[in-house]
Amino acid sequence: MSSVAASLSRADRIGDSSVRLVLLLLRARAILVLALLIILFTVLTPDFLTPNNLSILSKHVAIFAILAVGMTFVVLTGGIDLSVGSVAGLGGMVAGYVITQGVSFAGAVHYPNAFAAVLACLAVSLLVGALNGWLVAKAGVAPFIATLGTLYIARGAALLLSQGKTFPDLAGQASRGNTGFPALGQSFFLHLPTPVWIMLLLFVFAALVAAKTPFGRHVYAVGGNERASVLSGIRVPRVKFISYLFSALCAGVVGLIIAAQLEAAHPATGESFELNAIAAVVLGGTSLMGGRGSVTGSLIGACVIGVLADGLVMLGVSEFWQIVIKGVVILLAVAVDQLQSRLQVKFLPYLRRSRPEVA
Amino acid sequence: MEDRGAAIFGAGVGMNAAPPELILEARDIVKRYPGNVALNHVTFRVYRNRINVLIGENGAGKSTLMRILAGIETADDGEIFLEGQPLHMESPRDAAARGISIVHQELAILANLDISENIFAGRELTRSGMIVNRVQEDKQAVSVLSRLRKSLHVHTPAAELSLGCRQIVEVARALAHGSKILILDEPTSALSAVEAESLFQVIGEIKQLGVTIIYISHRLHELLHLGEHFTVLRSGCIVGEAVRAYVTRNWIVETMSGRTDMSYAKRSPGGEKHAVLAASGVSIAPVADGETAATALHDISFTLGKGEILGVYGLLGAGRTELLEALAGCRRATSGDIVLHGKKLRIGSVSDAIAAGIALVPEDRQRDGLVPELSIRENIALASLRGAWLSHEKECACVRQLANKLRIAARDLELPVTALSGGNQQKVLLARCLMRSPVVLLLDEPTRGVDAAAKLDIYRILRGLTDEGLSIIFTSSEIEETELLADRVLVLCQGRIAAELAGTGITDAALFSAASPVVASAPGRIEGRATA
Repeated sequence: MSSVAASLSRADRIGDSSVRLVLLLLRARAILVLALLIILFTVLTPDFLTPNNLSILSKHVAIFAILAVGMTFVVLTGGIDLSVGSVAGLGGMVAGYVITQGVSFAGAVHYPNAFAAVLACLAVSLLVGALNGWLVAKAGVAPFIATLGTLYIARGAALLLSQGKTFPDLAGQASRGNTGFPALGQSFFLHLPTPVWIMLLLFVFAALVAAKTPFGRHVYAVGGNERASVLSGIRVPRVKFISYLFSALCAGVVGLIIAAQLEAAHPATGESFELNAIAAVVLGGTSLMGGRGSVTGSLIGACVIGVLADGLVMLGVSEFWQIVIKGVVILLAVAVDQLQSRLQVKFLPYLRRSRPEVA
Repeated sequence: MEDRGAAIFGAGVGMNAAPPELILEARDIVKRYPGNVALNHVTFRVYRNRINVLIGENGAGKSTLMRILAGIETADDGEIFLEGQPLHMESPRDAAARGISIVHQELAILANLDISENIFAGRELTRSGMIVNRVQEDKQAVSVLSRLRKSLHVHTPAAELSLGCRQIVEVARALAHGSKILILDEPTSALSAVEAESLFQVIGEIKQLGVTIIYISHRLHELLHLGEHFTVLRSGCIVGEAVRAYVTRNWIVETMSGRTDMSYAKRSPGGEKHAVLAASGVSIAPVADGETAATALHDISFTLGKGEILGVYGLLGAGRTELLEALAGCRRATSGDIVLHGKKLRIGSVSDAIAAGIALVPEDRQRDGLVPELSIRENIALASLRGAWLSHEKECACVRQLANKLRIAARDLELPVTALSGGNQQKVLLARCLMRSPVVLLLDEPTRGVDAAAKLDIYRILRGLTDEGLSIIFTSSEIEETELLADRVLVLCQGRIAAELAGTGITDAALFSAASPVVASAPGRIEGRATA
C-alpha cells in the first residue's frame, strides 16, 4: 500500500520537474533564440562580433527596442498601435521644420535652439498619442481602426510640412544658435552611442512602471479582463489613454534619433516600423490578446529582430529572402507561444498538486 | 459576543433587542431596458449589521438593483441614501469609496494576476504614491485571508483557484477595502455544499466585524439559515418585506412566485420508450485559457427515449454545458460513441450535429444566440437558410407558423428581436432550432433570465413538443426547474455522472446531495456514493 503511494509520488515528481523545465525553456525562448542567433552569426561571419559592428547593431536595435517598449503597454491592455511609424516620421519632420525653417513670430522668423526642436517634436507626438487614446478609450473605436486612421493622418501631416521634401542639414547654424541636434543620434557617452542610452533609460523606466507601479498592474488587469477591471474600480479609460500616450512618446523619440543620425528629416521615415515593433513585442512573448507579457521580453524581441536583420545582411542573404525569413521567425514565435499556453493548461494539474496550500 | 454557530444558524430572531437601524435606502428606483422595465419604483431598505436577504426569481430584477447599489449602473429614476445622506455614484470606484462592495455572480477576478494583486486591484498600496508596496500588500492580504480562515498562498495565480476560492478572494478584497456594506450576489450558485458551508462561516465572521450584508440567493434553505431581514422582488416590484420571525418557506415561495400552485402540465407517464439517442463513454479533455474554462467529462453514458425530457443537473463547473456542447458538435469528445437511431454518429462539427438532427439552444442567448441587428423573422430563419436564393414567402409562412405554435408575443415579426422580452427571445431561439426539424433538442438553461409566467409557458411548449415525438435534453442549475420539467435527471458532479434519478425520485434532497462533491476525495473516488 505504502509502496504504491511512494512510487506514485515519485512518478509525479519526475513528471513535475521535467514539465517545469519544459515550461521554463519555453518561457525563456526569446533569449534562447537570441543567443542561438548570435552564436550562429559569429560562426558564419568573422566580422559579426567586432566592436564596430556591435556599435552599428546596437543603434539599429535601439530604434526597434524603443518602439517595442512603448508598444508593449498598448498591447498589454489588449490594444495595438499602428501609428508609431508615422508618428516617428512626423516627429522628425517637426524637429526638422523648427531647426531649418524656424518659427514666424510677429513678422520675424525666430530660430529656437535644438532643445526647443526636441520639445516641439515630443509635443506633436504626444498630441497624436492623445488622439489615439481618446479614440480608443473614450470614443470606443477599435484600436486597430483608430490607429490605422492616425497612421495616415500623421503620415499626411509629415508630407504636408515640407510638401514632400526632405529637410536637409539639421546640424543647424552657429549664427542662429540652434546647433547640437545631431548629437542626439551620433554622440557617444561612456563608449555607448547616445541612442542606446536613451533606449536603456526608457526600458528601465517602462520595466519599473510595468512591474512596480499601480499603473503597471492596471495595464495587466485591463488586458486580462476589462470587465473585471471596471468592476474592481480601475479607471480603464485612463489606463488605455496613458498607454497610447507613452507609445506615441516613444515613437517621437525614435523620430528624433533617426533625424539626428541622418542630419536630415525625411517625411517617409518610419514606414512599416510599426510592424517591426509589433513583431518585437510578439517575439518577446506578449500576448496580442493582452494581459500577458513583459517589457523585458519586448527588448529581447527587438534584439532578435535587429540581430537577425544585421546578420543576414552580413551573410549576404538577398533582401527579399530576409523579408521571408523574418515572417517565418514571427510565425514560429507565435506557434511556440501557443504551444506554451497549451502545455501550461495541460500540466496545470501537475503543478497545482505540488502546491498543497491551493485547496 | 454570541457563539458564531448561533449567529449563523440561529438567524438572529430576537437576538438584537435594539430596533434595526437603516444604513442604506434606495427610494423609488426605476430602471428601464429596451423591451422591459427591470425595476419599477422599487424602494429597498438595508439594515445596519444585519444579513439582508433579497429574494426573487430569475429576471425579477435583483441583480439590476444590486448593480445600481454598487455603482455599476445608474438608475433612470430614484435616489439612494447612505446613512441618511443622498448618494451619487458614477462608477464602482465611487461605490467602493463610500464603503459598498459587491461580490459578483460572474466573479470579477483577474485571472492573469495573483491573489494579493487581485485583492488590491484598483487600490494598490504604494510607497510615496509611486511604487507598489508589494510587501505591505502581501502582509495585509495574508491578514485578511486569515480573518476569513483561508490558508491560501497570496502569490497563487487566480487562474489556478477553484470558484469557491475566487469568491473568497473577492470577499477578501471587500474586507481589505474596509467595506461597510457587502453585497453577495448568488454567492453559492457555483459552490459545493462544503464550500458553501465555509462561506456561511465567513459571512458570520464578517458580520461580527460590523459589516452589513446584502445576500441574494435562490436556495431557500440558505436564506432561512442566514437571513435576518427579507425583501422579495417580483417582476421589478417589491412584493414583500419581513423579518426572520415572520418568514416561512411557504411565505417565500408564494410571495416570490405570486401563486400558490406551481404545477403545470403533468409529466407524461414513463411508459416503454425506445432509445433515440445513446451516448456511451463520452469523455472530453479540460480546456482553460484564462477567461474560459471547461470542465473535463469522464465516461458519460446515458440513453434518451423518444419523447422524453432528460434533465442534466449540476453545480456550475460540473460539466453540464460541456456535455451539451459535445453532443452538439461545438466541442470534440476525446473518446466515446454517440448513437442516434441505432446509427453511430461522427460529430466533428456543429453542422454534422445539425445534419444528424441534433440542435442546441445555447445558454447565453445574447452572446451565442440572437443577432440583435436582425428582425425576429430573420433570427428564426437564420439556421435554415439554404440554397442560392431565399424564398421570402415560404420563409414568412414557415416562421409565422412556428411563431404561432410557440406563442411568440410579437405584434410584428419584422420588429428587431431586441424588442422582445427575455421569454420571447428564448422562444425565438427555440423556433430557430425547430425550423430544422431536429430529432433531439438540446437546451442549455432554457429559462435563464425569463420571468415566472413565461417559464411555465416554455415548460408547456416543451412538453407539447415531446408529445409530438421530439426528445429533449436540458441543463439547469435550478432545482425547481429540474423537478418540474424532467422525466429523468442525470446529476453531474465534477464531470462525472453522480446519479440518475427518475419520476418521484427527483427530489430537492436527492439532487442536492448528488450534485455536491465529496470533499477530500481525489477525483475518481466518487462512484459508490450517490444513489438514485
